Amino acid sequence: MSLTPQTDWRASIERRLTRTQEFVDDTDPEALAVVLVSMGSLLAAFVGFLLASPWTAVPLGAFLIATGYGWARHQALVARAVTFAMTTVTLVTLGLIVAFIFAESIPAFQYETATVFGVSVPGLGMFTQARWDAVSEPVRYSLLPMIHGTVMVTTIATLVAAPLGVAAALFIAEIAPPQVRELVKPGIEILAGIPSIVYGFIGFTVINPWASGAFDLNGGSTYLFVGMVVGLMALPTVVSVAEDALTSVPDVMKDGSLALGATDWQSMTSITLPAAFSGVSAAVLLGVGRAIGETMAATVMLAGIPRISEPLVNVFYGYETLTSLIARGYGSANGVHESALFAAGVVLFVTVLCLSIGSQYIEARMRRRLGGVE
Amino acid sequence: MSRDSGRQADAVSRRKYLLTSAAVGAAGLAGCSGNSGDGSDGSDGGSEGEEGNTMESGSSAPATVTAEGSSTVYPISNKGSSYWNSNSPASDGEYWGSNDESSVAGWDQIDTDQNIADYFASLYGFEATGERSNPPFATRVALSHSGTGCEAVRDGLVDIGNSSGPITAELDISEEERDENYVDHVVGRDGQPVFVSQAIYDAGVEQLTGEQIRGIYQGDITNWSEVGGPDQEIYVVGRAEGSGTDTSFRLNMLGDADAPMDVDTRLGQNQQVQQVLQDNDNAIGYMALAFSGSGIQAIAIDFEGTVYRPDPDAENTIFDSEYPLNRDLHMYTRINEETPEGTDMREAAFLNMFLTEFGQKTFVEDVNYITLPTSDIEAEREKLPEQA
Repeated sequence: MSLTPQTDWRASIERRLTRTQEFVDDTDPEALAVVLVSMGSLLAAFVGFLLASPWTAVPLGAFLIATGYGWARHQALVARAVTFAMTTVTLVTLGLIVAFIFAESIPAFQYETATVFGVSVPGLGMFTQARWDAVSEPVRYSLLPMIHGTVMVTTIATLVAAPLGVAAALFIAEIAPPQVRELVKPGIEILAGIPSIVYGFIGFTVINPWASGAFDLNGGSTYLFVGMVVGLMALPTVVSVAEDALTSVPDVMKDGSLALGATDWQSMTSITLPAAFSGVSAAVLLGVGRAIGETMAATVMLAGIPRISEPLVNVFYGYETLTSLIARGYGSANGVHESALFAAGVVLFVTVLCLSIGSQYIEARMRRRLGGVE
Repeated sequence: MSRDSGRQADAVSRRKYLLTSAAVGAAGLAGCSGNSGDGSDGSDGGSEGEEGNTMESGSSAPATVTAEGSSTVYPISNKGSSYWNSNSPASDGEYWGSNDESSVAGWDQIDTDQNIADYFASLYGFEATGERSNPPFATRVALSHSGTGCEAVRDGLVDIGNSSGPITAELDISEEERDENYVDHVVGRDGQPVFVSQAIYDAGVEQLTGEQIRGIYQGDITNWSEVGGPDQEIYVVGRAEGSGTDTSFRLNMLGDADAPMDVDTRLGQNQQVQQVLQDNDNAIGYMALAFSGSGIQAIAIDFEGTVYRPDPDAENTIFDSEYPLNRDLHMYTRINEETPEGTDMREAAFLNMFLTEFGQKTFVEDVNYITLPTSDIEAEREKLPEQA
């Protein structure tokens, strides 16, 4: 392979072209035409949708007819095209949502422009001062109090969900006898099915009043209990993903350990857990993602005033998180205030994106190190 | 029953709409095949079809009147809508009309043989159906927030926008813009009494001055002992930032719509305020009169020498329109090309129902709001188009 990069690139294009050519030659021209019509009209329908045109129904109808016809006559080819189109639709939806959130938050970022070293940076003012007041002068939209709240709640939730979740997963996967497992697993899945407002409502009517009396607080909103409630909500996610990771460790690895005379517990801690580490950390990170995004329980239980607790780590204050800010404010906000709520959404989106990339990275690294487990 | 009828009438109008749009679509298709590339024609046809659907009156069923907005106005609006959709006959006695056993409030001013919705709709030229549960047109009320309701009426999503705060503050528009684009129908009044936890009331805090409340809500007074109560911190309950309730409290109590506040919690809904005041023994909050209940007490307020008491028999009461925390409850309609007066016949027929003695008693007073004085009712009726 002594080709220079440029010829290599050309050759690959040429190869692609020949392959496409061959594919076109080999395929029934009618099938090809049907797929082209179907995909073309879907694209046209999408453009019509973006332009809010009253004619969108026409290409959509054409797409349905062409696809329906193609499905009857050339199923394999049409199925390939349709599944590809559906994947694209998912990605395009994501793209549109992201573009919309960013576009809506621009006024707030512009409003909160701050100068650093003589350069004015839009949005910097949201992170360099701590005042949020959308009504009285000076009107400022700092996101720091809410970021602090989200960090507090997420940290406490992780401290609850990670050890409990991993321990429960280990018990279900390795220790429990089959009958117990059959009973416990559905139980945990039912826990995942309880709507978050139910947790929030219990928190609001039971935990908050109790905390107010028990800890002599002025009002019962605390990050501590919101974090614990959210941790419980994230628990099922952690348990089921971690349990999947633990059960997918090949038996041969454990058998080897047992054959060398290690006890069950030794095998678990030195073989099963390290081997499934990537899956278990992915489980915890998914739980963290759930905790960051949790809205209802936080909105109902927190006080709803953007402030930073003093000292920073005092968990007996409960002010506001990024999600509860949006949930509480969306109805009455307008103008820059509304845009600032979208800015909170942008911060959430970027955080969750980083988390997701982080978990992918950890997983990839562990897979490399363990040489292709799973 | 009333809900069913609403759904039925709704289904009819939706079917009609589908038919209309299908016809337009077909016409458009025909136009397209005959003369390709002429798009403007088709889109004109489309909008005409839609207008026709909403503006139709008299002969065929008119479109449903839709309303959306404030949770404070909702009880009035929704009760009115339920009564309307039921179209009870005049022999009912309980909901409409009179019989041997009972008659509705303000009946002597109405005294008709027609069903409830038939009667009010016929005042504006709609044909009576004469059938229970089948009003001449249906009404539907959705629950959201004042700001959402104002936005919905601005964007033409609903006919009536319910709001507990003035639309100028909700949409951040000038009074000129408001007069140009909206008609403000005030249907009732809401007192926002200040409530305290039962324990505080029992400990002797039965009355506060306007100054003291201002001090509490701006963070200058933080302990009940400063206002004659027990030595306990004050848990100050505010309302969602920028909401109708928040804005009018700042305006009426703190003197300015964007006056600074220092509160311990902000809650979105009246029910939550009620719950928090019951759960804590040191809380103060303000909320719609309709949500008073056990475990909380409304207090008297001394505004510049006049004491407004929560007792309806007192000389000055929190139900008076002079009470500074009272606010108007609005139903906004939109001025546009089809309705330069801002209120079309359907909306007028529905709104007029609230502006009668019957409507004020049944839909306003019975859900714990404050009725409008006669002179205000006259002024509100002036805003509606001529009756048929």
